[in-house]
Amino acid sequence: MNRTLNVIRMQLINRQTYIWIPLIILAGSFVLSLLVYSMIPGDVPKYGGGSQAPLWYFLAVGVQALTLTFPFSQAMSVTRREFYLGTLLTAGVTSLVLTVVIVAGGLVELATNGWGVNGWFFYLPWIWESGPLGAAFFYLVIAMLFFISGFWSATIYKRFGATWLTVVLIGLGAILVGIAWLIGRLDAWAEVWTGLVTLGSVGFAVWGVVVAVVLGAIAYLTLRRTIP
Amino acid sequence: MTTSDTVIEVAGLTKRYRETLAVDDVSFAIEKDKIYGLLGRNGAGKTTVMSILTAQNFETSGELRVFGEHPYENARVLRRMCFVRESQKYPDDALPKHAFATARLFFPRWDQEFAERLIDDFQLPSNKRIKKLSRGQLSAVGVIIGLAARAEITFFDEPYLGLDAVARQIFYDRLLEDYTAHPRTVILSSHLIDEVSNLIEHVIVLDRGRVIMDDETDAVRDRAANIVGDTAAVEAFAVGREVIHRESLGRVSAVTVLGTLTDADHRELALAGLDVGPVSLQQLIVRTTQHAAADAATDEGALR
Amino acid sequence: MIEEGRALFLQIAESVEDSIVEGSLLEEGQAPSTNELAAFYRINPATAAKGVAMLVEKGVLYKRRGIGMFVAPGARDRLLAERRAAFATRFVGPLIAEASKLGLTPDELATLVRDRAAASIEGKTE
Repeated sequence: MNRTLNVIRMQLINRQTYIWIPLIILAGSFVLSLLVYSMIPGDVPKYGGGSQAPLWYFLAVGVQALTLTFPFSQAMSVTRREFYLGTLLTAGVTSLVLTVVIVAGGLVELATNGWGVNGWFFYLPWIWESGPLGAAFFYLVIAMLFFISGFWSATIYKRFGATWLTVVLIGLGAILVGIAWLIGRLDAWAEVWTGLVTLGSVGFAVWGVVVAVVLGAIAYLTLRRTIP
Repeated sequence: MTTSDTVIEVAGLTKRYRETLAVDDVSFAIEKDKIYGLLGRNGAGKTTVMSILTAQNFETSGELRVFGEHPYENARVLRRMCFVRESQKYPDDALPKHAFATARLFFPRWDQEFAERLIDDFQLPSNKRIKKLSRGQLSAVGVIIGLAARAEITFFDEPYLGLDAVARQIFYDRLLEDYTAHPRTVILSSHLIDEVSNLIEHVIVLDRGRVIMDDETDAVRDRAANIVGDTAAVEAFAVGREVIHRESLGRVSAVTVLGTLTDADHRELALAGLDVGPVSLQQLIVRTTQHAAADAATDEGALR
Repeated sequence: MIEEGRALFLQIAESVEDSIVEGSLLEEGQAPSTNELAAFYRINPATAAKGVAMLVEKGVLYKRRGIGMFVAPGARDRLLAERRAAFATRFVGPLIAEASKLGLTPDELATLVRDRAAASIEGKTE
């Protein structure tokens, strides 16, 4: 257990990657969004997708956690299990930090009624409908999901090669397209949207947990036979 | 031969990649607190063997025990080993000090003072990102980790490539000094045989995935001789002996003959007017390897 | 100093014996330690230890516990005797072979050797 905790310290030794850059991306995106909002006339509520920016970065962090840090962890005589658990814990901790910042920002946003310009960056109604805790759960899960997706695809790449990764991703894409087509065929888009709204952000996040667990399990099983 | 001093045992180790056998039925035992040389050409299988021993790669078949256990996912065993490979990857944007700070977390015997002295010795810049270091500086990082970790079994896989001759000598000197003060098992792979020949107590030579030599260095050192002189006389002497190398220029020939020369042999050579010269470890290994390759080629040809 | 083609531990032992024969290492004097030898020649300490062990077994050195290795009494005489015996094989044999290659008779060779030896002794005493 000690060595697993040390993996967290190993990942955080260069604090930039896990802590500062996501916050800088968030801050930058926030400032930009606010500038844009302040330039739009009228008192209509303005929403933007800016708060998702750091999530895409987490995808990249997930990839690099495997491609660069895994080989180094092997040189440090760390087992694959210690590395996997430690890295996931690190992602969890930093996702939590990000989540806290976003939720805090959202609360401030609510209090200031959109920073005085009715501009909404942190607070998005659908995400917050179950309150700040629900929003926190949602962001936590989504951040982890982005990280695990990056980690998972990098594991497939390392173990099976670029070709197989492409095949898998195209396959997944094809499945999604197929589902969309099916929904269209059954003329069921309305039901899908209603279902999504009823499900709510928390329900959606629960499904996110399921997906994350599945991807995480596949990543671990693949990692066990991966060569650095 | 397994004794209670054996720290690594390998039996019938094989690694197959599709059509090629990178490691072919390799067996040997490593005893504790000795410096071993794992020698051979590039691609002979040295890195693969070391990777398998440290569970970074996996065997196709065969048995392998480190400290009596299989190393795969075995933290108990792995933490007592250190493998610095030839082109090691480091986390993005990491500085050398980050790498050393991490090593300090995972290697129980890490000596920070020793690491600092080595950083000085190798003139490693402290504020340059690892990915921006020169080839030699990158090797120095690996070497410093391998030395300062003081792991009970330390593997060095040609980590000093890129280091100039001066830096290499520093590495050899520090290795010997530290090994003398803190004995441990060291396995050094190299193709610069003559440079390391005085450091290694035991020699294991790999060629195309197979072990072709596994002996005490001193036992091997006088195992061959160069005989030079008149071709007819040379050939007469070589009858019944294993010749691993032959050169001729006109009426003068030189052969490398396997087998320690006895006093009687020396008298015979003196009478025949032939000169005897020593064979360096590097020459011996190179010529043995080439000889084995030639044999294999004729076998393959014969099978066709 | 270190030669190719010969076991290192033998060469280490020989170099210690050389200093005893030459007189730079006296009987009951302290011999260099294994680590000193290893560091000086830049070789594996285990090899140096093997050379020293051989000398102990041969009776040339002995161990004083807690202090180190010392030259045994009578070691120099014994080494001289040993080397004289080997002298014939190591030096005289090749000398004769080379002389006969050049067509020198045994008498000519003997005269050559005697004259040279005498001249060298005179040179030393001058």
